[in-house]
Amino acid sequence: MTTGVTTVASRAVAAVDGYFADALDALEAWRLDIAGDIAAARRSGPVTTSRLDALVAPYARQTLDTPGISVYGAGFIAAYDSLADAPSHLAWWQGPQRARLTLANQAINKGNIDYSELEWYRVPLLTGEAHIAGPYVDYLCSDEYTITVAAPVRIDDVFVGVTGLDLLIDTVERDLTPRLALLGADITIVNTAGRVVVSTNHRLATGESLRGDAYRDTERVPCLRTPLEIVLV
Amino acid sequence: MPASTTTPSRRGEPSRLQSAVFQPIGDAGRAALVERRIAEAITGGVLAPGTKLPAESELARLFGVAPATAREALHSLRERRLVVTRRGRSGGSFVAETANAAEFATRALCAMSRVALRDLAAHYLAVTGACVALAAQRADPSEILRIRGRLDRYTGNDPLTWRRLADDAHLEISALSQSARLTREQMRLQAEFSPFLALVDASEADRDRSRSQLLAVLDAVAAADSAAATGRVRESIMDAVDRLIDHRAELARS
Repeated sequence: MTTGVTTVASRAVAAVDGYFADALDALEAWRLDIAGDIAAARRSGPVTTSRLDALVAPYARQTLDTPGISVYGAGFIAAYDSLADAPSHLAWWQGPQRARLTLANQAINKGNIDYSELEWYRVPLLTGEAHIAGPYVDYLCSDEYTITVAAPVRIDDVFVGVTGLDLLIDTVERDLTPRLALLGADITIVNTAGRVVVSTNHRLATGESLRGDAYRDTERVPCLRTPLEIVLV
Repeated sequence: MPASTTTPSRRGEPSRLQSAVFQPIGDAGRAALVERRIAEAITGGVLAPGTKLPAESELARLFGVAPATAREALHSLRERRLVVTRRGRSGGSFVAETANAAEFATRALCAMSRVALRDLAAHYLAVTGACVALAAQRADPSEILRIRGRLDRYTGNDPLTWRRLADDAHLEISALSQSARLTREQMRLQAEFSPFLALVDASEADRDRSRSQLLAVLDAVAAADSAAATGRVRESIMDAVDRLIDHRAELARS
């Protein structure tokens, strides 16, 4: 690798890490607070979906207002069987109206959809670390092509759910691609599955996979704070 | 073609597209819209018998209508015997126990012409086929394994559980297309088509057949074979439609 290439890649890493740091920090800001709030609520009686909604609402509003990034949706997703009146629950607000999400009220009954295996729930549960999931078509919440940033919440070492926020890929493309374009080379951001998040290369579509022989020897530079990689194609 | 028919002209007749913009929206009131949304969910099996509906004020908030409008919609649903309202502490509005989705689907099937049924299937195939073709190019094999794993873990043969599992699997495969538009359209069509698929999957043998068809689609997507994936979706939909038409003919005879 030449020095020039190294420089471009490391600058791209800094740009991507910087962009997603705002999202990670926005969740880290209330991850411990909500754990404390839920623990306190438990001491005064069973925690129901509506009590959880009331606890999460101010944090969700604050997250939707995060400066520097356009957050489409935010909230807290309860661990399975952690609430008194429902097996699962999303305390979630989204969209221009910041409407509370009601799954049972949609075209198909999304209330039955099992989220325990979805990336934004599964990975923070498994690793105990914040995660950047996607890009993926979020058929549960936004119905849009989305990246979800999620961080695990624990009370006395027991997993009780994840805090999360949604970024529409549409927004990520608008916000992040111009910063990468300044670096003067073709830069593609992929996730760990090799899926393109955004690219300054006009011929590479978001959602495509950089797999197969054509990309076998292309070097990938991992980001430092985020599970994303920089590819100079 | 003269320019005036395709582009908006400042003085002359409006184009046909322009005229279409100002067609009457229809006088279906907001209460009727709320009623139709809930009725479709009940007859489609989305809201199962016994499900508690949100309270009147909550319904009004969810739909963004006045409380009086929600009340009017609930009143009509009670008259249609789709909803019952009980008083008291554990009271509220519930989907009627007699609101049997299979019966509604059977009635809808009998009322539907063969041409309409085949047209619905053609639409469903166009969208689902496009979804799986893209998914085959874009999905990571681990994502397919996860869907497969969920299908494999369910070894029971309960019709309702199988229907939900199959609907979820279709939705997940479609989402792997990475296309939000196609996935939304697939969701809409799945809601419309799924009650009919439930009729197709009435017996244990029928459900086994549908399961192997679904697994065959997953295999093709995992093998990154777009053509095979679309082909297998086509085969399973055509098979389902044939079985529906046979079923319909049987019902007509009896």
